[in-house]
Amino acid sequence: MQKSLKSEFLGITITSPLVLPAGVMGMAFSGFNISIENGAGIVTSKSLTLESRMGHKGPVVAEFEGGLLNCMGLCNPGIVDGLAEIDQFKKHSDIPVIASVFATNTEDFLKLTKHVNKSQTDFLELNLSCPNVFDEFGIPLAASQEEVHNIVKAVKQISTLPIIAKLSPNVYDIVSIAKAAEFAGADALCMINTVGPGMLIDTKIIKPVLYNKFGGLSGPCIKPIALKLIYQTYSAVDIPIIGMGGVTYGEDAIEMLMAGATVIGVGTAVHYRGIEVFNKINNEILEFMEENEYSSVKDIPKLEKLEM
Amino acid sequence: MDKRYTLKIDKIIEETSDIKTFTFKYTLGANPGQFIMLTDFEGGEKPFSISDCTKEEFSITVKRIGEFTTRLFQKCVGDFVSIRGAYGSSFFISKNNVLLVGGGYAVPTFYFFAKVLLEAGADVTLINGARTKAEHVFADRFESLDIIVINTTDDGSFGENGTAVDIAQKIMSQDNFNFLYASGPEMMMKALQDVIGDTNYEFLFERYMKCAIGICGNCTMDPLGLRLCVEGPVLPKEKVEQLTEFGKYHRDASGKRHEL
Repeated sequence: MQKSLKSEFLGITITSPLVLPAGVMGMAFSGFNISIENGAGIVTSKSLTLESRMGHKGPVVAEFEGGLLNCMGLCNPGIVDGLAEIDQFKKHSDIPVIASVFATNTEDFLKLTKHVNKSQTDFLELNLSCPNVFDEFGIPLAASQEEVHNIVKAVKQISTLPIIAKLSPNVYDIVSIAKAAEFAGADALCMINTVGPGMLIDTKIIKPVLYNKFGGLSGPCIKPIALKLIYQTYSAVDIPIIGMGGVTYGEDAIEMLMAGATVIGVGTAVHYRGIEVFNKINNEILEFMEENEYSSVKDIPKLEKLEM
Repeated sequence: MDKRYTLKIDKIIEETSDIKTFTFKYTLGANPGQFIMLTDFEGGEKPFSISDCTKEEFSITVKRIGEFTTRLFQKCVGDFVSIRGAYGSSFFISKNNVLLVGGGYAVPTFYFFAKVLLEAGADVTLINGARTKAEHVFADRFESLDIIVINTTDDGSFGENGTAVDIAQKIMSQDNFNFLYASGPEMMMKALQDVIGDTNYEFLFERYMKCAIGICGNCTMDPLGLRLCVEGPVLPKEKVEQLTEFGKYHRDASGKRHEL
């Protein structure tokens, strides 16, 4: 029987379970183009804010053995220009787009939601968890059950689109935060955002490598953390999860699915395996399905849920 | 893994009042057209084309434009800076009769390239253009190579009187070139594209770069989504012809579009 990567996410059929996550290649409509040409099934915009942001000064990325540190600092052209890029993409593509938005309070999230309602976007992602703007905005909203609940609930009341809450791994009790988002009306969860943050030091100049000093970790080193948090969350909620964190090969994607993810984000691996990484992982998932005689992605078994 | 190298500045040459060449004793192993990212960890990390690269050392030639390059210009021999790379695509090495058209501070990368072309056995003609004599660079360096050089300035203060594009149009009517390469202001390359007929070419582009490793999407070019830090900065004719933003707009650090 013909194996197929065709999947479903929140009622929409997608050609591949692989998602281009926020912050990767999502600045211009052409970044979406090249990602879907290379096999992504859903694309996400940069996290958009009410006004444009230049982001942090460089260096904004630093590489080490286990992955990457980044502190882009939420650079984005602002909600109006960002949605215009999405609308330009949607003129010639029916691949679903997630508009990611970032704010620090309910009022601004509501303003952003009103803009997104008027666009061609398919899903709204609330970025509650950027770890790289601590100096400016303090502890991410995703650290507080109450904040997550209040924002999701308020946005849900006016959003015409399904809502995805992007959660932080850098919390003590992920399950209570995830449940707060679900209870408030989130249609899906996206996890995990980058880990840490962490830092690296240049030993000759004696300065932090990142100008922001600290940056979120991504890449292979965070996969075990992602799997654990996704598995715990999957065990506790009934809404779908976009699982991400260090997915580089098909095997990693299968692990994400088994941990409870419905679809899988691939970000940092674009650096390791090129923009072709989506098709490479698609093929590796197909090979796995072939070997194990699964005819569709949803037939790939999940772990037995944790007892709560 | 892409490593970062923190290196001492080995040599500084003042080319003009606001263009300097910085040389580092380090085996970079770059190809012509590629770039490095450079920082001093004081705020900012910028891409710079490589203007020379031998087994022992490499150079970049920098124009003072903003806060970052102003600080770089205050550095002395022996000061540390940190680099990563070389990154990006490089020029096709033709063995035939080739024309290089360069403008302003983007010309020096052709010094490295011309040396590689000569080694490959190509016949090289270079148009080295600038707006004025004060902005004209590397005339002496190119003089030392076995290539034909036509120096030109827009105001005629040095070499021929005219733009690099004017001169290119003129000499292309006199000689048959198999391949053309351009490095300079985008509007110069846009004008050049209109006068070079069917000649095959490669252009070296500039866009705002941040990660330089193909992830952040800041330097993607519409509508193909080519990442200038990975698929560029050198783009071949068949790609350039499809670019809708070429000569029209670019994106700043926020991703906002600005007309060129």
